[in-house]
Amino acid sequence: MNQATQARTTAGAHAKLVLEDVGKVFQLRKGEQIEAIKDVSFSMKENEVCVILGPSGCGKSTVLRMVAGLDDPTSGRLLLDGREIGGPGSDRGMVFQTYTSFDWQTVQTNVEYGMRLNGVPKKERREKAAHYIELVGLSRFADAYPKQLSGGMKQRVAIARTLANDPELVLMDEPFGALDAQTRWHMQELMMSIVESTRTSVLMVTHDIEEAIFLADRIEFMSRHPGSILEEIVPAFKKGKRVTRKEQLLDLDGFGDLERHVMKLMREQGGDEATPAERA
Amino acid sequence: MSRHAESPTARAGTRRRWLEFLRPISTTQAFVLGISVWVIFFAAWEFVTLRGMVNPLLVPRAQDVILALYDLLANRGFAVDIGVSILRILGSFLAACLIAIPLGVLMGSFRAVEAFANPFVSAWRYLPAPAFIPILLAWFGTGEEPKIALLFLGVIWFLITLIMDHTRNIRDELLETAMTLGASRAQILWTVVVPAVLPNILVSMRQMLAIAWTYLVIAEIIAATNGIGAVMWRARRFLDTDEILAGILVIGVLGLLFDLLFRWLHHVLFPYLSRTGQ
Repeated sequence: MNQATQARTTAGAHAKLVLEDVGKVFQLRKGEQIEAIKDVSFSMKENEVCVILGPSGCGKSTVLRMVAGLDDPTSGRLLLDGREIGGPGSDRGMVFQTYTSFDWQTVQTNVEYGMRLNGVPKKERREKAAHYIELVGLSRFADAYPKQLSGGMKQRVAIARTLANDPELVLMDEPFGALDAQTRWHMQELMMSIVESTRTSVLMVTHDIEEAIFLADRIEFMSRHPGSILEEIVPAFKKGKRVTRKEQLLDLDGFGDLERHVMKLMREQGGDEATPAERA
Repeated sequence: MSRHAESPTARAGTRRRWLEFLRPISTTQAFVLGISVWVIFFAAWEFVTLRGMVNPLLVPRAQDVILALYDLLANRGFAVDIGVSILRILGSFLAACLIAIPLGVLMGSFRAVEAFANPFVSAWRYLPAPAFIPILLAWFGTGEEPKIALLFLGVIWFLITLIMDHTRNIRDELLETAMTLGASRAQILWTVVVPAVLPNILVSMRQMLAIAWTYLVIAEIIAATNGIGAVMWRARRFLDTDEILAGILVIGVLGLLFDLLFRWLHHVLFPYLSRTGQ
């Protein structure tokens, strides 16, 4: 709670996104209620990669959905650039865990989709889409339909489509969760290089500890029942620099200590529902 | 079976069996088997009629049915009856689609529209359409209207329900993706919901068109002077069983042709649904 309060008070003019005492209560039938999220407060800066990490069922996806405007908080406030979030909008593009490319459009038109909605002229649309398609390494597949692509490629389409729409903030809900280990690894590195080159602000949800440490400039670790920020972790061992290759992490002093610390948190918070394998 | 060696699952020393779980068959095999069932059917037909096992007045020989069909087409204007029946089907089915598609999509998209319309649609779905024939005759007389109305009532409620279900089954994430890219409600409806559900609408149409043929025959038997069903009903009076069976044959063939047409349309309109994109 201490850290959370601190985050709120330091949320000054530089804060991109601010969450203030955000809570979410789900109404069940027969008047029962479940408090999924309680007093979640944190803020993130421009160009920052912020990762919400926590055990399954801690409500981290709910937090992300509220930032996207897809769910409403039952208490507290969410501010983007100082303005309260009141619903979904093109300033907060979201990449989902499940594949969301539109089957009836090619890779090119999928990536152009958001720009077409927002009235970007055809020529600019086409060029910009081509740029982002190249960025995610799909130029050869620009005219292919999603059904012809692998899972990792579909997720790259989703990332390109979100970035091409120039959002203020990119939201990612376990975007690599459905991918096999090797593809996930590639995608994390790709993600890192894209974030470096585009200076995009990213808020991402994951339960993959290594992914969180690799990508994050700041980790918000959530506890369960009800979900709230347990600890704010800045991976200081990176010394403010981003790592673009995963094996470089291993060479850095402090990586092991941080991973151990986060694993301990995860085990404590995993609770009775977690299997031994999940906790390991 | 010379294809034995090609089969990846057939190992040396393993006997190739006719029936095997999960094992695909070649297109040639499928074709031969598909023809065989008809050969067996007609052979059995010929066998029982030639051996005099059935009354020839009630069960004519297969070739008599074909001859009767030729006679109907060549000398008695049966082609016009077929045309009339097809027009009735298409007219009423088109009318049903014009209402069912937009209504079903809106009901599947918006809970409020569903809450408003579904109690009504569900109630009608449980009423057997032929039960309305007496009142339809009273209202519309014996012209085209009661037949069109019966066909319309027979398919529209199911069509609405099918399309509503397909629309509701569009994954939430597709709509939410559009929302986070800045789409308005109208944009989501036209650029996500409609293209996402369109292939399934065509499938629903294909299924309901088959049902429409059932109601067509009922309508034409009860109140029509022309059309395939009317010709069959007239033939019954003179115990022309070969003509009745010829009518059934024509309906079967037409049903098959429409089904193939819809399959072809699905293939042509939605090439992106196949992995090759062709």
